[in-house]
Amino acid sequence: MKGRKLLEYLLALAVSVLLALIVGGVIMALSGFDPIKGYRLMIEGAFSKPRLVGNTLAKAATLCLTGLATAIAAQAGIFNVGGEGQLYLGAIASAFVGARLTGVSPVIGIPLCLLAAMAAGGFYAWVPGMLKVRMKVDEVVTTILLNSAAIYFCAYLANGPLKTAERGINSGTDSVDPAFMFERLIRSSNLTQSIFLSVVIALLVWYIMRRTTAGFEMKLTGQNGRFARYSGLKAERLAIGSMVVSGAICGLVGMFEVFGLHRRFITTVSQEFYYDGMLVAMMMRYQPLGIILMSLFFGAMKIGGTYMEAQAGIPSSLVIVIQSIIIFFMAAEDGILQAFRGWRTRRRAALTLTKGG
Amino acid sequence: MDEPIVSFRHVSMQFPGVLANDDVSLDIRRGEVFALVGENGAGKSTLMNILYGMNAPTSGTVSIRGQEVRHFSPSEAISRGVGMVHQHFMLVPSFTVAQNIVLGREPKRLGLFCDFPKMRAITEHLVAEYGLRVNPDDKVSEISVGLQQRVEILKTLHRGADVLILDEPTAVLTPQETDELFTVIRRIVKEKQMTIIIITHKLYEVMAISDRVGVMRAGRLVGVCETKDVNERILASMMVGREVLLGQLDRHDPDTSDNEIAIHVEKLQVSDNRGLTVVRGLSLDVHRGEILGIAGIEGNGQSELVEAITGMRRFSGGDVTIGGKSIKGMNPGQVRSLGVAHIPEDRLATGVSAPADVTDNLIVGKERQPRFSIGGIHMKKRPIRRWAQETFDRFDIRGAGLDTAVGSLSGGNMQKVVIAREFSFETPVLIISQPTRGVDIGAMEAIHQLIMDKRNSGCAILLVSADLDELYRLSDRLMTIYEGRITGEFIPSEIPKTEISYYMTGGTKEAQA
Amino acid sequence: MDFYSMAIGLMQNTLRTATPVVLAALGCLLTDHVGMMNIGVDGMMLIGAFAAVMGSWLLGSWVLGIAVALGIGLVLGLLYGVFVIKLKSDEFIIGVALNVFAGGLTTFLLRAMTGQTGTFHAEGGLSVLPRFSLSFLDSIPVIGPLLNNNTLLVYISWLLVLACWLLIYRTPLGFWMRSAGEHPQSLRSAGKSPEKIKYLASLLCGMLACLAGAHLSMGYLSTFSENMSNSRGFIAVACVIFGRSNPPKVFLAALLFGFIDALGMRLQSVGISSNLTSIFPYVGTVLMMVLVVWRAERRKRRMSL
Repeated sequence: MKGRKLLEYLLALAVSVLLALIVGGVIMALSGFDPIKGYRLMIEGAFSKPRLVGNTLAKAATLCLTGLATAIAAQAGIFNVGGEGQLYLGAIASAFVGARLTGVSPVIGIPLCLLAAMAAGGFYAWVPGMLKVRMKVDEVVTTILLNSAAIYFCAYLANGPLKTAERGINSGTDSVDPAFMFERLIRSSNLTQSIFLSVVIALLVWYIMRRTTAGFEMKLTGQNGRFARYSGLKAERLAIGSMVVSGAICGLVGMFEVFGLHRRFITTVSQEFYYDGMLVAMMMRYQPLGIILMSLFFGAMKIGGTYMEAQAGIPSSLVIVIQSIIIFFMAAEDGILQAFRGWRTRRRAALTLTKGG
Repeated sequence: MDEPIVSFRHVSMQFPGVLANDDVSLDIRRGEVFALVGENGAGKSTLMNILYGMNAPTSGTVSIRGQEVRHFSPSEAISRGVGMVHQHFMLVPSFTVAQNIVLGREPKRLGLFCDFPKMRAITEHLVAEYGLRVNPDDKVSEISVGLQQRVEILKTLHRGADVLILDEPTAVLTPQETDELFTVIRRIVKEKQMTIIIITHKLYEVMAISDRVGVMRAGRLVGVCETKDVNERILASMMVGREVLLGQLDRHDPDTSDNEIAIHVEKLQVSDNRGLTVVRGLSLDVHRGEILGIAGIEGNGQSELVEAITGMRRFSGGDVTIGGKSIKGMNPGQVRSLGVAHIPEDRLATGVSAPADVTDNLIVGKERQPRFSIGGIHMKKRPIRRWAQETFDRFDIRGAGLDTAVGSLSGGNMQKVVIAREFSFETPVLIISQPTRGVDIGAMEAIHQLIMDKRNSGCAILLVSADLDELYRLSDRLMTIYEGRITGEFIPSEIPKTEISYYMTGGTKEAQA
Repeated sequence: MDFYSMAIGLMQNTLRTATPVVLAALGCLLTDHVGMMNIGVDGMMLIGAFAAVMGSWLLGSWVLGIAVALGIGLVLGLLYGVFVIKLKSDEFIIGVALNVFAGGLTTFLLRAMTGQTGTFHAEGGLSVLPRFSLSFLDSIPVIGPLLNNNTLLVYISWLLVLACWLLIYRTPLGFWMRSAGEHPQSLRSAGKSPEKIKYLASLLCGMLACLAGAHLSMGYLSTFSENMSNSRGFIAVACVIFGRSNPPKVFLAALLFGFIDALGMRLQSVGISSNLTSIFPYVGTVLMMVLVVWRAERRKRRMSL
């Protein structure tokens, strides 16, 4: 996007965010809460202490990676709603490998865990991607259904065959070798060394999407698949490939949760993290740079929301409501603008014609 | 004189960015056949859509039978006796003929359910009354275009129309079907005192059918005349605003004398999307340095033939060899690597990515070349932009910059983008389909010369077109196609156009002889 | 447990789990016929489930609970219509956003209105949908236990399958709906507004989806828990695809899903992990969708020979 269009888009985004925040405020007020206090607590909760800033950054990294995962698949025309399942599988696969490799040097162990996460997530995205591309099976429905399947499957493993023998742990896999764990950067915050990897991945994804021939070809495939095929691009392979990359990123997000915070796979490893990132990607129209920036904003809102709930009892799921309202407005942006333009043109034409006549 | 049945007064229509109708005043007389002519985008259809209530004019008034129309909607137009047969038929493909005819005013049983026997009876009654034969129970998606048009006409008659607007009715018809349609028009005008408004850009049809003719140019009505007072030449110059003379093309034979076979098609069999075989054992050869034209009414297998040759569609029998290599089982990319470029018939669906900008659309397929990328991975922005600018200028693409979304270009400029991209591959073989459909005359000239230049430089060109004039102008040899088979082969200068149409509708040389 | 009672139990569970899917699928197929398949039915169901429980909790009666759910359904249908029809938004984006929105909103409201999280427990319990029995049917084996002792909504869902079929294939309105989806311009040129028809379908879809939700939350347990729709709305969408939007076929697809679900529950009782059996309906539905496409492909290939 360039020039005028970019400006229009940014304006629409700003208005949408503002409107959504107002709607959020109204919902708070109607539910008997003080919206000013709510938003103040949100800001406080995101930035007032180093620990909270750390949490905000960690949350932003998660949003950013999951958002980019949505975006890279969307660039090739596939709507991956299945990142949650891919995340779970990546988490449990890496946790399994990490526990099995206990005692191995981290230089070998960590890359293998990364690989396991990417392979598991990538494979689980490959299935619906292949079904979509080769058989035209709608991917939105399949990926959502596969989410549920993966989450139950992981729950089965964590409470069944892979359940740890450690005492005092009801559910979850064996813990991974402590040497593989990402260290916390700020004490008692969720910010770990994985943030560095996240930054590298984010830049890499941006580079692939915006600066490489493969990214360019993916874009054309997503815009007009028939045109891509006609042009001799390997449209099918590009689409499936983008889906695998998307799934691999989600798998890594799952691994970062395990190796940064939980030390083992637990069934609550993600609380719909993928959907949060997906919403960010959707409102930024899958623009990688925009997603990276917007993640910081929503990272703050998410962490602030939790704080708000703890302090004032205002449920943090309000943030999801606000996010989805932004999507509604952004999806309707063209329609609203068009309606406005049509009205303006008619009015102007009528004016000039009456004046002229 | 009679009061006009329809009268436009100072009608203007402003669409975002386009003034489609500009202060048009026009009267239509009761019981006449009025032809409305003009180039693409002259505003003919817009004006008639206003009469039919599809759009409300930005200003001005429309009166039907002396009464001003205040509320513009099709149902209002229908109730005032105006019917319209659109260029793109307004038929629901999965419904039967009868269901389409009664759509919107279905006969009911028990006040709630459709009365199917009555639907059929209504249709049969109409068929008997107007002599337009159709089978009420046929599915619309399974009958010919000519029959579909009859269904459209019957539909408007069923709604009680006595002013009938026909928007480019002959564009999709065979010459025989056109004759039949004209017979019907004459009869219903005479017997039922109907008023017909016919939109067209085929001037000989204007001369053949109309009583009066109105000419539109750039949204304005530039003249209304009695048909008997004008001729095609006068009308053409009114339409374009200048004398139209399609210039002579620069045709000379390539320097090399080798005219080996570049495309060889042998007993090819191809199925369409529904799984029906539509190319049936077709064979042809294209030599280097020649243009082979394929003439045929749309829907006789041309589209599938082109798709098969370019790798877009699998073929079930026979073979295609390009430069001596069989393309069986190849995808479009592999076929392209044999030295084939392709200008597709439907540029918006296939030939461009509408949301992408001009640069992106020009570079596709070349982005991995060393001059545009490092190692086939990193795209070199500056060389790409420089090359795109050069190509943009060389092919004289107008009304846009490199950053304009291709979807917002006019038909002619969008087609130039496609041609610029495909021709700049510098391939020895070109497959070209409908190169000037929906393109204005200026751009058409340029495109024809570009194609001819390619021929002159020794390319083998297969040209498929529904426009006989175009085929006559460009082709060295001409083949007619009917129902997936070649029905004749000709040298254009040796056969009149009227005779060609005989072969396009199923006649064969043997049958005539 | 003998085989007979086990089979009957399985079939009863099939009906029970299929009913919300049937209702949601009917809504979804109506929108599919007018050309804007609503994949937001899952979210609409969730909101409907919440509205029904809150309605009956606050107003003290299941009838009012259903009424509230239907009213909210109208609002949701209108919202979906405004975005997709009026503002021409992408129906998939709106559908997906609607699902996320529903999850967030119901969670928020549950906490805000009741102070409870997870699952809602009303003091003194809530009124459940009444069940119906005809005593003379009891004596008939198989049919008796299947037809009797179901909630009102089960019977209504059967009637609605028939009603939808009649509507779509036998009434003028159905013809208008199908032409609005297949070729809206032809309907417009016939003097009918495709937009109005689309709004109608969208409103009906909202009501049906919320009715599905009401059955989910009040049919058997009468409680609401966060995200209790559990992607059943998407299973409904898959059933619509599987049954090609033809109500009786979609109904059968939903029954098939219900059977898989019920089979899973049965297997739990013989000691197979509930987590494992919960996978069945989802994977089964995905396989169903693949099967549809595979079958269509094969038919096409056979025709070309």
